[in-house]
This record gives sequence, C-alpha cells and structure tokens, in this order.
Amino acid sequence: MIEITSMPIILIIILGTAGVFLPIISIIQKKTISSTLYWIISLTALLFSIFYVVYRLISSDTLSTFSEDVLTIDLLGNLFAISMLLVAILTTVGSLDFIRKKSHSSIYFSLILLSTIGMVLVAYSTDLIMLFVAWELMSIPTYVLAGFLKKNPSSNESALKYFLFGALSSAIIIYGISITYGLTGSTNITEVIRIFSTIDAEMLPLSLLAISMFIAGFGFKMGLVPFHMWLPDTYEGAPPTITALLAAGTKKAGFAAAIRIIIIGTIALNFDWMVALGIIAIMTMTIGNIAAILQKNLTRMLAYSSIGHAGYILIGLSTYPLSNIGLQGSLFHIFNHAIMKCTAFIAITGVLIAIKTTYIEKIKGLGIKMPITALGFTISLLALAGVPPLNGFWSKLMLFGAALDAGSTYSWMYWLAIAGVLNSALSLAYYGWIIRKMYFEGEKITTIKEPRSIIAVMIFSILFIVGIGVYPEPIIQFTDKIIFQLTMFLS
Amino acid sequence: MNNTLIDFVIVSITLLSIGIYGLAVKRNAIRMLFAIEIIINAANLNLISFARFLPHSSGQTLTLFSIAIAAAEVAVGLALIIVAYRMYKNIDIAEFRSLKG
Repeated sequence: MIEITSMPIILIIILGTAGVFLPIISIIQKKTISSTLYWIISLTALLFSIFYVVYRLISSDTLSTFSEDVLTIDLLGNLFAISMLLVAILTTVGSLDFIRKKSHSSIYFSLILLSTIGMVLVAYSTDLIMLFVAWELMSIPTYVLAGFLKKNPSSNESALKYFLFGALSSAIIIYGISITYGLTGSTNITEVIRIFSTIDAEMLPLSLLAISMFIAGFGFKMGLVPFHMWLPDTYEGAPPTITALLAAGTKKAGFAAAIRIIIIGTIALNFDWMVALGIIAIMTMTIGNIAAILQKNLTRMLAYSSIGHAGYILIGLSTYPLSNIGLQGSLFHIFNHAIMKCTAFIAITGVLIAIKTTYIEKIKGLGIKMPITALGFTISLLALAGVPPLNGFWSKLMLFGAALDAGSTYSWMYWLAIAGVLNSALSLAYYGWIIRKMYFEGEKITTIKEPRSIIAVMIFSILFIVGIGVYPEPIIQFTDKIIFQLTMFLS
Repeated sequence: MNNTLIDFVIVSITLLSIGIYGLAVKRNAIRMLFAIEIIINAANLNLISFARFLPHSSGQTLTLFSIAIAAAEVAVGLALIIVAYRMYKNIDIAEFRSLKG
C-alpha cells in the first residue's frame, strides 16, 4: 500500500484542497470578490507543491524505481512533476491580467489546479488503472478550459474538436489496456513488462496491437503526425494561456506515459520498433515545420512548431537502447520545451491583451511598443530554434549527437540527425521572420503599458532559459541519474 | 454458462468496429460522441470477460472506474455541444470552419 505521507498523496491533498475550495469560496461569498484572491490562493498551493517536491528530492537519497504499488516516487516522475508544476505556475501567473475582466475566474483557476494534479499523477503512476484515471483527470478539465470563452465561436469550436479527439484517444487507450490485461492478467506496469518479456510467439501480434494502441492513444496528446489534425485548431482557438498549459503540460504528460509504457514495453517485447518510431519522428518534424512556415497567425505557427518539436523528442526515444544520450536528450528537451513553449504562449497572451490580435502582420514594431514582452518572446523563439547559448541548443545537440552515434549501428539513423538539423534550420527561418517583424518594421510608435503579470513571467523565463543555457550541468546530471535508474530496472 | 472467452471477445471486436465506422463516417457531433462511447463499452466488455476467466478481478475494478470516467466525459462533451448548438443552430462539425489555415 502507498502511504498517506508519500509525496504524490501530499501533492493531491495540497492542490486538490485549493482546487475544490476555490469555487466554494466564490459561492459562499455574497459580494463579488476580485480574481486576485483566487489567483493568490492557487499560486500559493502551486508554489508550496513545487517547493515540497524539490525538498523531498534533495532530502532523500533512497530512491525507489518501478514498484508494485499504483504510484512510485522515482526520478523520472520527479523531473516531469517539477516541469509540469513549473508550467502550471507560469500559466497561473500569466493568467491574472487575461482573466481579470472575465466572469467565473474561480473556476478557471480551480480547473488549472485539478488538471495539474492529473499531470503530476500521470508522471508518478506505475499501474494502468492509476494511469488511466490520472490521464482523464488531466484531460477533462482542459476540455472545459479550452472552451472557457463561451461567447467566442472559435474557442467553442476548438474545445469541441479537442474533446472529440481527446475522448477518442482515451477510448483507444482503455482498449489497449484491456488487451494488455487479457494477455498478462495484471494491470501493474512492472508486472506487465515482466510477462511481456517472456511472452509466447503466438501472442506477440496481440501484444504489438496493444502497444500500437498505446502509441495511437498517447500520440494524440503528443501531437505525433498521423494523429495531429486537432492540434493547430485547438491551440489557435483556445485562450492562449490554456494553449500554454496544453502545449507545455498535457503534451509532456503524454511523453511521460510513453516512456513508461511504450518504450519499456517495446524493449521487453524484443521487437524491432526503432524503424517505426524513427519514421514517425521524421514525418512529425518535417510536416510540423513545413506547415508552420505557411501560417499567418502567431498561435497557429507555434502550434505547428510544437508538432515539430514532438518529432525532435521522438528521435531520442527511437535511439534509446543504442545510446543512452538519446533518451537523456529527450528528457532534457522535454523539460526545456515545456519552459520555452510556455513562455512563448504567455508572451502571445500579453500581445493579445495589449493589441487585441495575434496576426503576424499586426505585431510590427512590438520591440518598441512592448519591450519586455518582445524580449522574452525573442529569447524563447531563439531557444526553440536551438541557438547557443540558450537551453534549447544543448538538448538538440544531445539528440542529434545520439542519432549520429546510433548511425554507426544502423545506418538509417544518420537520416534522423540530417532531418533534425535541416528542420532546425527551417524553423529558424520562420522564427527569424517573427523577430524581424517585431524589431525591424513599423515606424513612429510609442510604448504601451505592458500587463504586469506577463512582465513577471517574462523576466523569470529569460533568466531561466539563459541560466540553463549557460550552465546546463545540473539537469544533464539529473537526466543521467534517471537513465541509470531505468537501465537498472530493465536489466 | 457455456460461453467461452472467444464469444465475448468477438462481440467486443464487433462493437469496436461499429464505433470506428461511426467515427469515420458520421459528422454529427452527438453521433461521434456515441461512437466513442461504443468503443469505451467494447473495452469494458473485454475487461469484464477477461476478469471472469482470470484468477483475480482487477479488471472489474478498472471497469467501474472507466464507466464513471466515461460519464464525466460525456457530461463535459454534451455541455460543449449545447454551447455550440446555441451559437451555430447546428451540431455538424463539418460546418464549424472558423479555424483553418
């Protein structure tokens, strides 16, 4: 049994209490209170949780790997939990000025907290039942949040499309779970993988069917290419703060689940799956980056670039057994991408609040109008493109380097590195176009007032991105320990 | 009581095929929602029948969770569809074209 004082349970209690009590406060209170109070409550809960996770991480040296329980507390889960809580904090802070004029702000903050619990539990869960429940706890609040602007047709349309594909993905996941349960007689991931590694040859097709259902189901959330069609519409129509949560939070939870089930499961099945993941990786990054060039809207362009980044992350997953650096780079890139994408979408929120539109033609002279937002936006775009010395450079270096290393065993893996480098160059073209519009076009403009919450997020993110870019050692060592734990488990 | 496991699995696969057919062909939001529900119920049937032929019953536990979650999901989905109906007087998702590029 899992103890009541273990870390995930404490996180559920902290975040869940705040999440449940926010709407109750708004009902009990007769006169309307400002959204700042709800903002302070949810921010306090989130800050307390992230400090608690970091404290437990630093204080305890004994670390459990995959366990027989429904939840485990391992380093992989800790990395994902920290990045998701960080994303939730940035989203909450950036939401203050966006949500101030709108009604039902208590429900907005409460749903963000509940969705965050789901993401954190996905990262820690080691049982298929727990994983499914946490997955739905993460998804259902985001369906509502995507349609939060209910007077706005495009918000509603994005929520409806997101809902239909999200519900389909969870239906496919539970079908995959049912096949897995039938084959192995267990729902514990450790047990499942142990039985998968000694499965009969005649049952192998069925277990591959289960794994491909998991790839399809989690791939919908990750935005891999055959399953990506909902993603640009949803990211464009949803409120931009929620887009930050979707792109940086729920997408990364999909990768957390993928590393636990798909990667380890396919290794246990001893099946040559690297080719399949490699093809998906190349298609994902190429289609994402080519489609991004054609866009006229900032959010839609970054949505396609987010699809492209899922492809880069997949390079590391497809080279895993050959080179540890690949998976290490994937984990590092997941962490970096969460911060960079979140910053970019919060900057877009600032643009939307100040000049009411997100078309690229309309942001001329943003560097003079809104200097801090534009600086944060530029830094995050350069980091996404992988310009040294920002953090995106190091993780891309590790990913492409791993593909080159693996190329000495399977020569087609060189193509992963080639496609990755070409796509990075391509992405710099459209990121550079945005930066050029912001700084080198537009005349006779004066500064306009920037929302203060956006400035706070921007300053934090600039320091964070540049800081990790200059000194990436701690996180690289942390990912190294994670890989060590995973290899210990597999051997 | 003479049913074997394969009978249940055949029914479940039939339901899965009906669900996928419905999703692929229909463009009405409520029909698509119910096609998804049919897939979830196919999975539930699978889980229950496997649990009957296995020594322990964690499959039935998962089925209970899955039914409750599916209900929550349908509640959210129908709410979104009602808002869409108020706005467009229509729930055909092929008509929703404010987002494209």
